[in-house]
Amino acid sequence: MANTVIGSSIVIDGEITAEESLTILGTVKGKISVAQALAVEAGATVEADVEAQTVTVSGRLTGNVTARERLELKPDSKMVGDAKSPRIVIADGAGFKGNVDMDV
Amino acid sequence: MADKETVIGPETRISGEVRGEEDLIVRGRIDGKVQLTQTLTVEKGATVQADVDVRHLVVAGTVVGAIVASESVKLTSTARVVGDLASPRVIMEAGAAYRGRVDMGDIAAARAAVSARVVERPVAVEKPAVRPAPPRMAPVAKAVVVAKAAAPAAPPAPAPRPATQSAPSAASTPAPAAPPAFPRVAGATGAMSPAWAKKKIRRR
Repeated sequence: MANTVIGSSIVIDGEITAEESLTILGTVKGKISVAQALAVEAGATVEADVEAQTVTVSGRLTGNVTARERLELKPDSKMVGDAKSPRIVIADGAGFKGNVDMDV
Repeated sequence: MADKETVIGPETRISGEVRGEEDLIVRGRIDGKVQLTQTLTVEKGATVQADVDVRHLVVAGTVVGAIVASESVKLTSTARVVGDLASPRVIMEAGAAYRGRVDMGDIAAARAAVSARVVERPVAVEKPAVRPAPPRMAPVAKAVVVAKAAAPAAPPAPAPRPATQSAPSAASTPAPAAPPAFPRVAGATGAMSPAWAKKKIRRR
């Protein structure tokens, strides 16, 4: 269970730093740094450079993503930006535009 | 999932601007600006160093910044707050520490002043932890204790008529919470008037 939840009507313009997991249902612009899991839920909009252990996108994400462990794009998610992670999962139906770097 | 409440966890820090139309609970830290149409709750251990414009504000942690709450502000016993505060209802519990100005009147002006402020983008440098001022204000509520009716035994002022010679004995019966006007009443009604008569006259 996420320790921090950004609700669907919340708009954050700035920087989020979390030493725990973060779930976003609303809108975040700026920069996100999460020590654990980041979830961008359906309906959420993130326009930010993101760094986290794992990133799961069900909503819309614009920005460069670094996932130390795993990046997953769920069906109906949209992502624009460069993805850097050792494991990347793109589900059928996900939209993605950008570079992929799996460190190979 | 849609109606998950918004929580800023204890290990999370936001620098920048937070806006929203739902309740927000802060257990971690927000620096910048918070604007909500609902309730902002700053829990114990949490820090909000921001200009705050919300409907209700409940503080158990630390808030530094100008505060506008369109309906109410409640500072609980563990609250540490520094900054001007504008809200029609302000509740301060015993133990709350607050420094600043309270305005229960013109919210609109205060709001305009707060929203006119420009949020400085977060500086990378970590600011030192907020050191709230020591409690310097006793709780406002309950401060006024109704004065016990200790005075009524005082003899009434010299009555205009000699007939009131026996007045003091009657007057010294424990008239509960006799108003300051008591001597005048006693003098006017005379010693032997029954309780109901006194009452009636007192009402004048």
